[in-house]
Amino acid sequence: MTTSEREFETLSAVMDDEADELELRRVLDATSSDPALRARWRRQQMVRELLQTRRISQPNIEVSSAVTEALTGEKSAYRNPLWSMAVAASVTMALVLGGQQLLVPKTSVMQGSVVSDLVGGVVPVLGAQPVQASLGARSLPVADRQVDSVDNERREVAALYERLAEDRYRNLARHHASRAAPMHPAPYISYVRAPAASGEKSAHQ
Amino acid sequence: MTASETDQQLVQRAQRGDLRAFDLLVLKYQGRIGALVSRYITDPSEVEDVTQEAFIKAYRAIDKFRGDSAFYTWLYRIAANAAKNHLVSRRRRPGADATIEDAELGQQAELLADVGTPEAVAMGEELAAVVEEALAALPEELRAALTLREFEGLSYDDIAAVLDCPVGTVRSRIFRAREAIDERVKQQMSGESGFR
Repeated sequence: MTTSEREFETLSAVMDDEADELELRRVLDATSSDPALRARWRRQQMVRELLQTRRISQPNIEVSSAVTEALTGEKSAYRNPLWSMAVAASVTMALVLGGQQLLVPKTSVMQGSVVSDLVGGVVPVLGAQPVQASLGARSLPVADRQVDSVDNERREVAALYERLAEDRYRNLARHHASRAAPMHPAPYISYVRAPAASGEKSAHQ
Repeated sequence: MTASETDQQLVQRAQRGDLRAFDLLVLKYQGRIGALVSRYITDPSEVEDVTQEAFIKAYRAIDKFRGDSAFYTWLYRIAANAAKNHLVSRRRRPGADATIEDAELGQQAELLADVGTPEAVAMGEELAAVVEEALAALPEELRAALTLREFEGLSYDDIAAVLDCPVGTVRSRIFRAREAIDERVKQQMSGESGFR
């Protein structure tokens, strides 16, 4: 028996589920490199269909080469280093952006997390989260199911931070005025009054 | 080995990325899948495109195949869906020649049978005649072995018991029977202009 005859016999056994793992592997190796063996496998499947069903469905259809070509192309594309780099870059970008989103406090958290919307939600301890100082007298929006005491606490916090911001502004203005006075072209003006914040103005009036 | 064990082994290899194994499955089932698709779609070139697409989809989804059903059953569903989707997309264009409902009701299927174009029907009939002749011309011992295998579905062990010969002899006889038939089929196909 020649080598090709042995291969054909093994192919026949594979068709009948009578080949072992090693033989199957040998057939796979052989069919990938031997078009004659592939063609025989195809013909013998057709003969089986004819014998068992007395008819054949589509004897002239042949898509195997195109399918293999398409799938091989896909595999090659995934193995392309450029593709891998593109995937790696996308993942890195997603991680960086995701990380930034986690680190930057969201406006909604700043404004709405004093009282959680969840039933039985945790009321955070004052000062345990970042609070944005504001020069304006605008109050922070409140949640619908807010408890009165928490509302008062929040207003107090807002007022406190507003006062702190005003004090800091005034100090900075005075410091600037004292430094600027000696270098001013009009030395007789020993003191430059900084423009008052609206709160200060109202206080002096 | 069970009847679908080779398919199962080929599928497992394909799941590990062995395209050669999947190629054998395509070669094995492309005719039947093509016939299924031709129940929905009449244009032969579209039948080929959709058949190809069905196999590509099957390979991409092969990790999801768990072996709960036969591989062909699973493949059949993928191909039927591919054909239906193709019909849906064609429906938006003028000149669609069949609808999903037609195909589901079997109206198109009856018109087209399972065999597609008239050329394919004629080719199939000629091949069937050649195979029957070749089978009848086989020596008795070869024909008996092949018949028990193909028509009765017996395993090599069972055929050996029936024919009272070693399993190796059964394997060799079946191979020789196929060899003789294949020679005639090959000649027939090489003479057919439409066969690829």
